[in-house]
Formats: sequence, structure tokens, C-alpha cells
Amino acid sequence: MIRVTILALLAVLPVAAAAQRGDWPMPAKDYAATRYSDLSEITGANAGRLRPVWSFSTGVLGGHEGQPLVVDKTMYVVTPYPNVLYAFDLTREGYPLKWKYRPPVDPNALGIACCDAINRGAFYADGKIVYNLLDGHTVAVAAATGQELWKTRIADLSQGETTPVAPFVVKHRVIVGASGGEFGIHGWVKGLDLETGQIVWTAYNIGPDSEVLAKPGTFRPFYDRGAELALTSWPADVWKNGGAPVWGWMSYDPGLDLLYYGTGNPAPYNPEQRAGDNKWTASVLARRPEDGTLVWAYQFTPHDSWDYDAASEMILADLVVDGRPRKVLVHFDKNGFAYTMDRASGEVLVAEPFVDVNWARRVDVATGRPVVDSTKLTGASRGNVKNVCPTLEGGKSPASPAAYSPRTGLFYLATNNMCMDYQATRATRIAGTPFIGATTPYHAGRGGHLGAFIAWDASTGKTVWRTTERFPVWSGALVTAGDIAFYGTLDGWFKAADARTGKVLWRFKVGSGVVANPITYTGPDGKQYIAVYAGIGGDWLLLSGDVRSDDPADVRPPADFMPDIARHTSQGGIVWIFAL
Amino acid sequence: MDLRPLVPALVLSVGCGGHEAAPATTQLEARVFAGGVAPPAGAAPALANPFRGDRQSAAEGERTFGAMNCDGCHGGGAVGWVGPSLRDGRWRYGGSESEIFQSIYYGQPHGMPAYGGLLPPGAIWKVVTYLQSLEPPASVPTQSWK
Repeated sequence: MIRVTILALLAVLPVAAAAQRGDWPMPAKDYAATRYSDLSEITGANAGRLRPVWSFSTGVLGGHEGQPLVVDKTMYVVTPYPNVLYAFDLTREGYPLKWKYRPPVDPNALGIACCDAINRGAFYADGKIVYNLLDGHTVAVAAATGQELWKTRIADLSQGETTPVAPFVVKHRVIVGASGGEFGIHGWVKGLDLETGQIVWTAYNIGPDSEVLAKPGTFRPFYDRGAELALTSWPADVWKNGGAPVWGWMSYDPGLDLLYYGTGNPAPYNPEQRAGDNKWTASVLARRPEDGTLVWAYQFTPHDSWDYDAASEMILADLVVDGRPRKVLVHFDKNGFAYTMDRASGEVLVAEPFVDVNWARRVDVATGRPVVDSTKLTGASRGNVKNVCPTLEGGKSPASPAAYSPRTGLFYLATNNMCMDYQATRATRIAGTPFIGATTPYHAGRGGHLGAFIAWDASTGKTVWRTTERFPVWSGALVTAGDIAFYGTLDGWFKAADARTGKVLWRFKVGSGVVANPITYTGPDGKQYIAVYAGIGGDWLLLSGDVRSDDPADVRPPADFMPDIARHTSQGGIVWIFAL
Repeated sequence: MDLRPLVPALVLSVGCGGHEAAPATTQLEARVFAGGVAPPAGAAPALANPFRGDRQSAAEGERTFGAMNCDGCHGGGAVGWVGPSLRDGRWRYGGSESEIFQSIYYGQPHGMPAYGGLLPPGAIWKVVTYLQSLEPPASVPTQSWK
């Protein structure tokens, strides 16, 4: 009987290795985007004895965002441009390369990517490593051999589209999007066939219902009524270059069959060139992964006037809110509010600030709209609007995804404590060049520190603990069943903190600032390992040189708010692995 | 004057710094054209800056630098962002006035769009005049020493 069962199981297993419990097969570990691992060897009692066991220079300077994958005793690392894919054999001493895949990537992408030539990682599915090249291609590579299986052009560099986002695979669909909110793209997501790479559907985030895939009868937003919302909330034709890029993280609820992702800013940054709500920029969209059908959408920042992309992850959790168990989606927006939403309907249940916020007084959950402070509205005719909190880097950057522990019931995230002045100017759209129209110098927020790592209760909308950091915190979070939360800092420390108290238990200087996301996995020897990239960059590219950035002749405008970061870090990409 | 024989010579002359020289036609195809407009064929711009050292022209060039979105990559004040600094005295494709002109007119690999299809040569020369008027900083990052 048992033998029959095993044979039956074998019969339906795909040939390719399936991800195991101790593996890390997708960017956020699981479809719910929790970045939580049930590995528990590393605890508060022993975390102080963590030590580095391996490191590897990627040979690439610049921002190392994203995270490695670990599947079937192999670690997969995608570098920033030129997007090399390394496969390391974890069964052999020194973790030598099994293979390396180095595709041709159009160097013109370097001039079209807004914010450093970063890559947010790969996705393992059905024996394939699927990832995006910066120049607008998705590739699938055989995980066992490094052989390229297919390569599909998904984006158009000449229109300002680049593709640092990590693909997301649901069943046989590969979901991809493009960056370019600073280049006036017409934002979209596409669904590709996992076997062939063929583009099966394209869904725009702005424009007519027929292109947004908002179909009568199936599109039911909680707060909005009527047709053509993503068209009528724009001036005529302006939506065609209206942004709404997709560069963050996706999640999926198999029970509801809904794919969730956030969209970036409307273009240009000068809001007076685009009257209206500008749907669905700065929004969360819920779609059917099979054919892209839009089921609901919600806009966090209508008529965004501050570059508040909503590209941050949508973490799926089951929480008790107001005494009722709810299936929720939790989102920490650049705009400084944390949203706890019903993920079936798109209703906002809780929306509270997780950093100092002054562009809006609160979010009215009855209407779903923020109550905006009109003195913080920006525009070319309004001159230099002073002291808007948070900055366009976000109260939390979408580049640094949060983690959720079902054991503590808390969310863990890197935050920025900064405010900005916002001088909008009229921008001209010239295809292939930036389409921005704002100058936005930053300064430290209340308290003078520039960042913090916090624990958040999404049922009530309250901060549980906060560890302040001198510099903006720009790494993703990891939390484990050992109740340890891991994060890195811009000045190059990688830290382990008690998930219940925030107390830092261990730290190690990793050689360059951390803008990547830690992972954990079980090695072939059964031990728990932690891995993370060092490599400052992304939005901090400008400030990561080793030159004194407080040089009187150095007129780089954002540098004055953290003049001495260059004393603590310089560029360089390193993969680190730690263990007890 | 026919432009064609000129282009390979120019590309070769700025092909230092470890950059591979290639036939001009290939390199031109690899460029991004600002606004989708290719530089005109057969229109040979002057190779000497008619506005050299002229402050008024530099000021006009600075305005063009903003209006054409150059600052979106090279930063306000040309101090560098995702594109390299244009005031640190280090030039990947040559720092003479004619080399800077060619980089703007024809574009360069690594995403520098060709503006020759959008801007008349005189406007480009004023941008060159602006860039050459900028004071370099006292020090530059190690990673730009290449």
C-alpha cells in the first residue's frame, strides 16, 4: 500500500528537482512573500556565535539588490548588469562553480535604467532558473546544466523600459514587468509561458479598460465605480507616457487565485502635467495569473505628487483585525503608511503611518483616500515645497522588502527617516531620455538618525519596537522560527536581532553597504545557513564612492545629508554565507 | 562634405580606455536616438567650437542641458548620477571639444542617446561650452579611475 502510494507520487512528480523545505526557491521564499523560514537552529541563545563560512566576489561593482536562490544543494546568484548567473555546488568544499551563464546584454540599458544597473533576482520553477536581463529580456536556464532554454524580448529600451524586476512564476505563467517611471513608459505586466517563453498576455496598468484587462463583471474595485477608470483619471493622451512601472515584488494567493503587485509613480514627477487621480499608478492590482484579468485595484496615492511608488511587496497573512480573523494583504508604502487590506476585496482595514508623515493627515478607510495636507502639494507653479515627509526614497524603499513571522505575528522592515524639499519643473518627454521634472534634496527627519529597523503590528497599525540606525536602512528583512530577524545597513553591517525585542545579538562588517535581502537555507550537511549580498548601490550609487563626499568642490546635491557615508563603505559585490 | 568617411576616424580616435573600436555603422546602429530621431546623414557639423569660452553660450548650454533631460542621468550640475560625471576631468570617449560634441551628436554605447537628430549643431556646441566651463572637484572616486 505504501509502495503503491510512493509510486503514484513518483509518477506525477516532474523530472526536475522540486524545492525542499530548507530551500529558498523564489525571491520571498514563498508565494505569500513572507521571507519567513521555519528553520530554527539559529536562536537567541547562539546567534552571537555566527561566523562567515564563505564569500565570493561577483566581480561587479554597483548595487547588489535581490537575493540568491538555493535549490537542490545549489546556490544561484544573479549579478547586476551584465547579469551573470552563477551556480555554486554546495556539496563540495569551497562551493566551486557548477556552471556560469553569461548572456549578451545590450549596454545601452545602462543609460536607460534610472537608478543603477541592479537586478532583483531569479525564480526557480520546474527545473528552470528564470530571470530578467536589464535590457528587456527574460531568460530561462536549465538549473542542472546552465543551458539557455529560451530567451524572450519583453521590453523596449528605446521607450525607456528596463527590466531589473524578478520574474514571478505561477503554475505555467511567468509574470514580468518593466521599470521606467523616470522615462515616461506605459507600464504593464506580461504573462509568459514557462515552457516556451512565449508572451501569452499583456496587461497595461494605465489606459483603456481593453488594455488594462478590466472586463465588465469581473473587475470589482472596492472603492471605485464606473468604467475606463484608468483612462478618465488622466488628461487625454497623457496616460500614454504616464509611468506605472512594475519593479517590486509579487505575491499569490492560491485559494483566491489572485496575483498581487504594486505599480510605480506616475510620470512626470511634476504633477501639474497630469491632472486627475492617474489610475492605476501608485496602486495595488489583483489579477488572474492565467490570463491577466484584473479583479480589483486600489490606489494608495491618488495624483501622486511626491514620487511615492507603490512597488513594495504585498505580504499575505491571516490576522485578527477588530476581533475578526481576516485574510489580509499588508503593504508598507513609500508614502509612509502601512496598509492592512482584505485581499479578496481590496478593502482597507487599517492604514497607519510607520514613519513620520506630513503630506497627509491620515487615510480615510471609509473612502480609501488619504486626507492630503494641501500645503505639501507640489507642482511647477508652486515653487519649492519645503519639508515633505517622507522623501521619495520612501518611508520604506520597495527595494528592501519586509518579512512576516507567523510565530510573533509581527512584520519586520527597514525604514528611512528622511524628509525632502520638492521643486517641480516642467518636463519634456523625449523618448529614450529621462522624463522627471523635479529636484528633491533630502534632510534627516526628527531625531537626526536617517533610518531604523522596526517591528510592526499590522492588526492594530502600531510599531512594536524600533532600532535606530545612523544611515538609511535599505536591506530586505529575513525572520526565522528561531525568532531572529536579519538585516543589513548602508554602512556595511549585517545584523541578527531578537525578533521579539529588537536587541542586536550579532553583527559583521561585510565589506560594502547592504541593499540586498538575506535568505536562509539548510545545507547538504543539515546545518542552517544565512546568505546575503554586500554591494552598495541602487539609489545610493551616487553616494557610494570612496571619495570624501563632503569635499567643498563636490556639489552633488543629495550628499549633504549624509556626508560621511564614504568613510564607512565603498562599492563592491560580495556573496556572503554565515553559519554557527 | 560627406560624413561617412569621417565617422570611422572619429570613432577610432575616441576608442581608447579599453573600448573596442568597431565599424562606425555598427556602432551607430547600437545607439539610442533621443526622441527616436537619428542624426541626419551627410550633415557634417563643424569640428571647432564657435562659442569656445563664451559665458552667454555656456549659460544657454546649461539650459539646454536641463531641457533635453541630460541632468536626469548626469545629474544637476553634471555631477554624475547613473551617467558619469561630466565635470570630473575624466572622459570615457575623449574630452576634447570635438570629442564631446561627437558623443552628444552621435551618442555613445552604454545608453548615451544621440541628440544629433533633435538638436542643431549650434545648440550642441553650447552644451559643450557649458560642460567645459565647469570646475572639476578636488578628488574623484577610485572606481572612476578607469
